[in-house]
Amino acid sequence: MNRDCTYHRPSTLAEAVDYLATKGGETTIIAGGTDVMVDLRAGKLERRNLLDVSRLDELRGIRLEGEKLVVGAAVTLAEIHRSPLLANHAPALQKCARNFASAQIRNKATIGGNVGHCSPCGDTIPPLVIHQAEMVCTGSSGQRRLPITEVATGAYRCQIARDEIITAFVLEPVGADFADFQKIGRRQALAISRMSMAAMLNQDQEGRITMLRLALGACTPTPCRLRLVEEFLLGKKPQPALLMQAGELLAEQMIAITGRRSSIIYKEPAVQGLFRRILSPVACHD
Amino acid sequence: MTEERYAVIGQSVLRKGAREKVLGAAVFAADIDLGRPLVLLARRSDHSHALIRQIDVAAALAIDGVKGVFTARDIPGVNLLGIINKDQPLLADDKVRSRADAVALVVAESQAVAEQAAEAISIDYQPLPALFEPLEALAEGAPPIHKKGNLLLTRVVRRGDVDSAFAAAASLIEKEYETGFIEHNYLEPDAGIGHVDADGTLVIYASTQNPHYDHKEVVGLLDLPDEKVRIIQAATGGGFGSKLDLNVQGFIGLALHHLGHLGRPVRYIYSREEAYLATSKRHPFRIRMTTACDRSGRLTAMRVRAVCNTGAYGSYGIAVASRAAVHATGPYAIDNVDVEVQCVYTNATYCGAMRGFGAPQMALAHESQIDLHAEELHIDPLAMRTMNALQVGATSSTGQILTASIGYRQCLEAVAPYYRQACDHWLPAPTLPHRRRGVGLGGMWYGIGNTGVQNPSTARIEMAPDGSVTLFTGCADIGQGSTTVLSQIAAEILGLSPEAIRMVVADTKYTTSAGATSASRQTYISGNAVANATRNLANVLLTEAVNRLRAPKNSLLFSGGEIVVASKPEVRVAMATLARRIHDKGGTLSWQGFFDPETVPLDPQTGEGVPYATYAFACHLAEVEVDTLTGEVHVARVVAAHDVGRAINPASVVGQICGGVAMGVGFALMEEFEQGRTESMKDYHIPTAADMPEVVPIIIEAAEPSGPFGAKGVGEPALIPTAPAIVNAISAALNRRIYALPASLERVLAASIDAGHYRRKER
Ligand SMILES: Cc1cc2nc3c(=O)[nH]c(=O)nc-3n(C[C@H](O)[C@H](O)[C@H](O)COP(=O)(O)OP(=O)(O)OC[C@H]3O[C@@H](n4cnc5c(N)ncnc54)[C@H](O)[C@@H]3O)c2cc1C
Repeated sequence: MNRDCTYHRPSTLAEAVDYLATKGGETTIIAGGTDVMVDLRAGKLERRNLLDVSRLDELRGIRLEGEKLVVGAAVTLAEIHRSPLLANHAPALQKCARNFASAQIRNKATIGGNVGHCSPCGDTIPPLVIHQAEMVCTGSSGQRRLPITEVATGAYRCQIARDEIITAFVLEPVGADFADFQKIGRRQALAISRMSMAAMLNQDQEGRITMLRLALGACTPTPCRLRLVEEFLLGKKPQPALLMQAGELLAEQMIAITGRRSSIIYKEPAVQGLFRRILSPVACHD
Repeated sequence: MTEERYAVIGQSVLRKGAREKVLGAAVFAADIDLGRPLVLLARRSDHSHALIRQIDVAAALAIDGVKGVFTARDIPGVNLLGIINKDQPLLADDKVRSRADAVALVVAESQAVAEQAAEAISIDYQPLPALFEPLEALAEGAPPIHKKGNLLLTRVVRRGDVDSAFAAAASLIEKEYETGFIEHNYLEPDAGIGHVDADGTLVIYASTQNPHYDHKEVVGLLDLPDEKVRIIQAATGGGFGSKLDLNVQGFIGLALHHLGHLGRPVRYIYSREEAYLATSKRHPFRIRMTTACDRSGRLTAMRVRAVCNTGAYGSYGIAVASRAAVHATGPYAIDNVDVEVQCVYTNATYCGAMRGFGAPQMALAHESQIDLHAEELHIDPLAMRTMNALQVGATSSTGQILTASIGYRQCLEAVAPYYRQACDHWLPAPTLPHRRRGVGLGGMWYGIGNTGVQNPSTARIEMAPDGSVTLFTGCADIGQGSTTVLSQIAAEILGLSPEAIRMVVADTKYTTSAGATSASRQTYISGNAVANATRNLANVLLTEAVNRLRAPKNSLLFSGGEIVVASKPEVRVAMATLARRIHDKGGTLSWQGFFDPETVPLDPQTGEGVPYATYAFACHLAEVEVDTLTGEVHVARVVAAHDVGRAINPASVVGQICGGVAMGVGFALMEEFEQGRTESMKDYHIPTAADMPEVVPIIIEAAEPSGPFGAKGVGEPALIPTAPAIVNAISAALNRRIYALPASLERVLAASIDAGHYRRKER
């Protein structure tokens, strides 16, 4: 099993882009390395020329730019967790960092790596989806933007070209009364999501839903916004019986995408349970 | 209990080696530097069951940097291993019986070359049908995995008339329970390093729980005289039973035997993946248990039909089946018993010793049954346990009369106030609407030492003419603290501080056998051997002191390096002075100690006998919250009362209890080793700190008259009651019982749905 590798750390984005322009075909970008190093050790990393982007200034920082919230690709989960800006403007994203892996991993793992890895279980994905985030990347032919739901073409398969670097994510700041992220794992820490969910919601004075965004993690091969469920609930009061119905619709939608695998015996009720749990604070009981 | 005052017994003296571990200075096998080592790697089987037609190693040998490739043919001695029954070749001979089997051993300059060479070995197999389920393996016409067939052993324990008691029962409950393969998951993967010393002795440093057994096996494999092999235990990062089998030791011996002339050390360090693939697992059990009780809740009869899967080899399977059969009743007096436990070969990874040897699996069954009866008869579960608890004078299912140190009732009494508090205050307190709370109890008993067989320990203590003391013990300290406890026992008898005792531990050249560090036996059995040796030494010192101080022996005390007349403390003599005089007169200052607990082998037909000289007892209380919508379980608190006879080092006892609870939480909720799928900790979940409940350890001391200062053991007992307590708590929370472990998200959610909690209120 070959685990040899070479390592480069450019000091500017331009330098990194130049490097990829010639060597992109044989290079793997590494940020925190919490996915890359696992593959390297397992002998599964084919391109063992590593380009470290974790310290590029252009990829760092969390800031508001006009109407938009910008999160650098090399921002770590620990930084996300302690960011007051995110707690205010993207609470679901901030929350997803709380139960992400362990403190050690959070100190290294980046949001760019989480998205770039394209694991169906990536915990930052559902929050990015409900913020209608766009991924920004830079390559030899310039910059482009891609909606977060289009980044992965399949599980662990990324749209990004070999000569491109993810630089940032551009989010719509939260404009809602309620936003949350929850996950189910096999233990309290260091658990890959068995299932996760992000929700954002507004209600009018009567409690009717005026806006709802819902995204599911670890259930479908690529990120999934549940528009049918959103539309079903729009304009209605989220009474328990209605939420139960919406949950059933949600499970149907999920199964329509994934088919009936053996894990569905759990996932079918659990996705409804998680949905009812995440929306329980906004449920109307009259 | 006599009120004796001790200077070091009962003191939480600092664990020997703790400082080194905290500072990262402890030398584990993988850290030992003997110069540029050659690297070993086994080529494991490609099939679960197949005949080997031919092995071609030519391509591997041709690789640059490969120093040797060995197969079964290169083993000069007996190519069969096993501490109880010998059925496991070091290197596969004519067939492979599981994916864990090693077919060839590569010796190379580097790990990378070794990996390349292992791949390059070409093996011609004739595949055979592979059997993974014991019932398949027992079926008529099933292909035999071993020549003698697929049933390794049936252990029977029978007493009284079960059928009549069943016929008269007020409550009769029959259920089936299931547990899976469990990986030990010790922190330090198996490792060893060896070299040939100047005398031509093969010296092997290994991460092991039983150096003297390793020695015997390596000597047998290589057909060498005893003195040509020396095993030294390196600092060991946990074992939990898996390091009782030979893991790397035989391979290192074989490589040294053939390549010692190169003058290079050889080493083998398992990756986590190899430790998962190639080392033993906990036996999965399927248990059908029927129990009966009368109207008052008194248990009258039990029938058990259990099958355990030992995988490809026996390892400790016979011990596991025997212990499971003996422990089936739990810590309860039941007059009519009919227990049969079958231990069956399959093509799974072999199963061996793991913390509790079948008792944790049985405890799930007997503790669930108690709760089921309690529910049916409307009796409080704690009262039900108390009513049936073993007491002094009771007769066990093997016909053993229990004469002393039966602390189960005391454990129940200690837990009682917490139980009442939990039931009255914690249970009804408000929680989130989708959560339900439950409180559960789990009890256990555990026989200290091996089941109905001799399992002696020895020790030697030496005093130099200058009065300094060295204790020699073969007892492997694998992190649980036996070295500290043994030094405390010697120190107490000689009136010294434990630090004053130099310890020489687990080196077959200098120490005699202490048996395995298993079965929670070292404090009791090796502790007694050390006490025996030390008292022998103390006696010659006293004899000399009598002369010197002109006072009778029974008036003398050991204190602070001196012997003192108790009533006249100013009359004293230094032990160094006495040692010098004994030495000069040609007396002996080196004393051997021995202890073997009194047992009587189990009758093969009835199970009658005295399997153990003494038993530990425990009761755990678990408080859990179950998410009825997702199946998540949060264990809030575990109260753990343990009768250890005497806590020689209370901090160590508490450490064992907390560690046992952690392992019990894993066994209860998440641990599951799937054959052919689970590769490493990436897909095998053990609890993290965040999963740990608050633990309230309670030490009960029902002194054991035959124990050193009354001590028994706690290593395995610590784990056993946790899972049943958690399962009982979940079952209480949901009003639905979980019968199979782990109580995973899937099983708990299914139970919640089944019980109607999932759709509660909303419809
Ligand atoms: C013990 C452990 C626990 C974990 N727990 C969780 C968990 O709870 N939740 C979860 O979602 N994940 C978890 N993970 C997975 C992992 O930590 C995350 O996916 C993490 O966000 C990856 O970030 P990284 O910076 O370490 O990525 P890296 O490993 O450096 O890279 C990951 C992938 O993204 C690519 N990449 C990285 N940065 C860029 C960039 N700027 N431009 C283009 N491509 C890029 C890399 O080439 C690679 O393909 C866990 C991993 C481990 C080892």
